[in-house]
Amino acid sequence: MMKPVYISAAAALSPQNSFDADTLLPDVISSDNGKLFVKDTDYSKFINPVAIRRMSRMLKIGISTGIKAVQLSGAEKLDGIITGTGRGSMRDMELFLGDMIRLKEEALNPTYFIQSTYNSVNGWLAMQTKCTGYNQTYVHRGHSFEMSLLDAKMLLHDATEPQTYLVGCLDEMTDDYFIVKSKIGYWKKALPNSLQLLQHSNTQGSIGGEGAAFFTITNTSANSICSVEQLKMLQKPTAAFVQENIDSILSAHGMKLKDIDVVLCGMSGDARFQPLYTPILENTTAHTTVAAFKHLCGEYDTSTGFAMWLATKLFQEQSTPEVLIQKKGINPAINNILIVNHYTLNSASVVLMKKS
Amino acid sequence: MEDLKLTLKQQIIESLNLQGMTPADIDDNAPLFGDGLGLDSIDSLELMVLLERNYGIKIEDAREGRKVLESVASMAAYIEQNRKI
Repeated sequence: MMKPVYISAAAALSPQNSFDADTLLPDVISSDNGKLFVKDTDYSKFINPVAIRRMSRMLKIGISTGIKAVQLSGAEKLDGIITGTGRGSMRDMELFLGDMIRLKEEALNPTYFIQSTYNSVNGWLAMQTKCTGYNQTYVHRGHSFEMSLLDAKMLLHDATEPQTYLVGCLDEMTDDYFIVKSKIGYWKKALPNSLQLLQHSNTQGSIGGEGAAFFTITNTSANSICSVEQLKMLQKPTAAFVQENIDSILSAHGMKLKDIDVVLCGMSGDARFQPLYTPILENTTAHTTVAAFKHLCGEYDTSTGFAMWLATKLFQEQSTPEVLIQKKGINPAINNILIVNHYTLNSASVVLMKKS
Repeated sequence: MEDLKLTLKQQIIESLNLQGMTPADIDDNAPLFGDGLGLDSIDSLELMVLLERNYGIKIEDAREGRKVLESVASMAAYIEQNRKI
């Protein structure tokens, strides 16, 4: 089994007030149009003003989140940057492709093309942090962030010296993307408010979301918030398969479900995927709190990043906000968190985290 | 020529997203790259696209391109002589 890795800092830009607030979810932001967009911040605090003018919104979101995580960690040097994105810079890609049609493939702006590549955020982060080490971007749909985390775990498992990696994820939603996906049943046809998403789990579809989350991850526990003990990625998950893997992870760490203080579930309000979480709701004891998060960030490929950021905050604050709770446990402290998430019918993941 | 320079400055500001700048902030003869407006190599590609899209001008020779993109004045002079649109 791989050694645990440790999170020394975390930052997230999400549809909630996750970036600038000092406390977890001081106010809850909702939407009534089926989409949750990132709450912007002052990007000029994190990005060179000469560079920022040419950047798309997604670049600004990703770079600012990554830089903030590095600033919070106090790390002077990064050994590498590893990022996952399911879709990359959608808006720039749409602009570039739109121009190709409109201008008959002539006189195309280079900027849209350059920025629409998946690894542009990683490149900018490397330049901003002067990191000349390992630089990798994973584009694996619903497992993009998990692949980044796994890569960091493997690198740190082999490292003999203390090392720090910046690991993160980002995905954006555009109006065109929302329209295309609505045609294949991704989104709910009628939902009064995003906060009511989980009360409509008997119908098909979810709400569109986006966000970025970055973490500084090390192989030393000193000054860390928590550890990532184990991560599993599941293809074509079924409820039984998810449960089997939860049991196997817990058993490998000498634990049972009753030892978990909070299970963070990626319930998306979609009736097709709700059965994945039924065993968790049924099998958890009175000790464990079952919480959900997609009514706050929406559904997107790398939402596990938002869940992991939430977990770091739960460890730090030692309480679970009511807006997250699906089944309230009597746990007095939050020491162990299990994240169970899915993206469409193709991918699911289970992450075991422990407070340092 | 003065009208062309003004239009060109507006197009440069829009195309390069020079936030907070107005045509009055760009000197006709100041260098666009380096110490002047501080543009970079990607901006030069954007300016080439601007010339092609708005004036039908395609510059194939990099050396010639460097001369044309020296300043707003040099761009305007080249446009006046070579425009196809």
